[in-house]
Amino acid sequence: MITTLDVKPDLAKAQNAAAGASKFCPGCGHGMILKTLAKTIDELELNERAVFGCDIGCSLLSWNYMNLDTVQTHHGRTTPVIYGVTRANPGTVGIAYMGDGGGLAIGAQHLVNAATRSENLLVIVANNTNYGMTGGQMSPTTMPGQKTETTPYGRDCEVTGRPAKAAELVASIADPNKSYVARASVSNLRKLNTVFKKALKNVADGGYSFVEVLSVCPLNWRTNNEGTWERLKTMEECFEVKEFLVKEGLE
Amino acid sequence: MAEEIQYKGYKVADVAKGKADWYMFTDLCKGCGLCMVKCPKKCLKWSKEVGLYQTPCVEPDPELCIGCGTCAMVCPDSAIKVVKK
Ligand SMILES: Cc1ncc(C[n+]2csc(CCOP(=O)(O)OP(=O)(O)O)c2C)c(N)n1
Ligand code: SF4
Ligand SMILES: [Mg+2]
Repeated sequence: MITTLDVKPDLAKAQNAAAGASKFCPGCGHGMILKTLAKTIDELELNERAVFGCDIGCSLLSWNYMNLDTVQTHHGRTTPVIYGVTRANPGTVGIAYMGDGGGLAIGAQHLVNAATRSENLLVIVANNTNYGMTGGQMSPTTMPGQKTETTPYGRDCEVTGRPAKAAELVASIADPNKSYVARASVSNLRKLNTVFKKALKNVADGGYSFVEVLSVCPLNWRTNNEGTWERLKTMEECFEVKEFLVKEGLE
Repeated sequence: MAEEIQYKGYKVADVAKGKADWYMFTDLCKGCGLCMVKCPKKCLKWSKEVGLYQTPCVEPDPELCIGCGTCAMVCPDSAIKVVKK
């Protein structure tokens, strides 16, 4: 029987409890990533220093998810907007959160330039291998053979090229003396927590961090609960989950 | 804004041989079922209670549940809580 409970859900302080249920679809990976991020911010006590930016795409549904100063901008522009904030207010821990479409297609220039200069912020790309918000079209990270709204017969790499590998790309251009670059997955949130910890510590020390998180989009994938986790396994075969660049001394 | 938020839901008491209580916040559960697959004991089943979108929530078989909290960790919407006693 449903009654009023005398306990509260396990929400991080960095989460905005007053917003109620998140705006994401049932089973969306954005919720798993963001609740892990919020928990990590609590653990490192960065609540007063952190500023959050979300992008166009389903990441924007987090405009009131965090109990942090938040800004929302357009496709990948979240990156320059957030490092603008950290440049103007040194000591701020800036977090730019975006999807694979925003980060790697329309906003790729910002990803590349911020990584090359290794600006002081954490960039998170939630890779769900499609344009979730607009109905599941092919994105740069759609896997070979994967069916989407715009690749109904499966992605043909002869026509559309190969999937973009964000973490590999960023690791090859970021300054090794300033950077932390990793790929994680929502299949293991404990590990994601560890990755975010290193990434945020590095940013709090003035460095640049990039984390790509393999995520799930059950709505557009048209998968049930089992199918969603299965699809994530095939993603982990296509996109290697590991740390690509760890600044010396970072733990 | 400082007003206390009230949460509705149900409790499955004394899982894990009485070592924990299991809670569902029905205003947060969207019925995605991701927890059911991740549960190491596969002890979650659909409940007759419904959640945010009028789809079934889940509940554990108290005999099989070991109170590990995997479901609570995985839930994208923090709809599950396991309190060790
Ligand atoms: C310049 C421009 N082109 C197209 C769009 C439409 N649009 C909105 S969200 C989106 C895709 C977002 O995909 P992604 O970044 O992967 O985020 P997801 O929704 O998958 O989390 C597109 C193409 C837009 N808003 N602006
Ligand atoms: S469309 Fe996909 S990415 Fe967007 S909220 Fe729904 S499940 Fe999440
Ligand atoms: Mg996407």
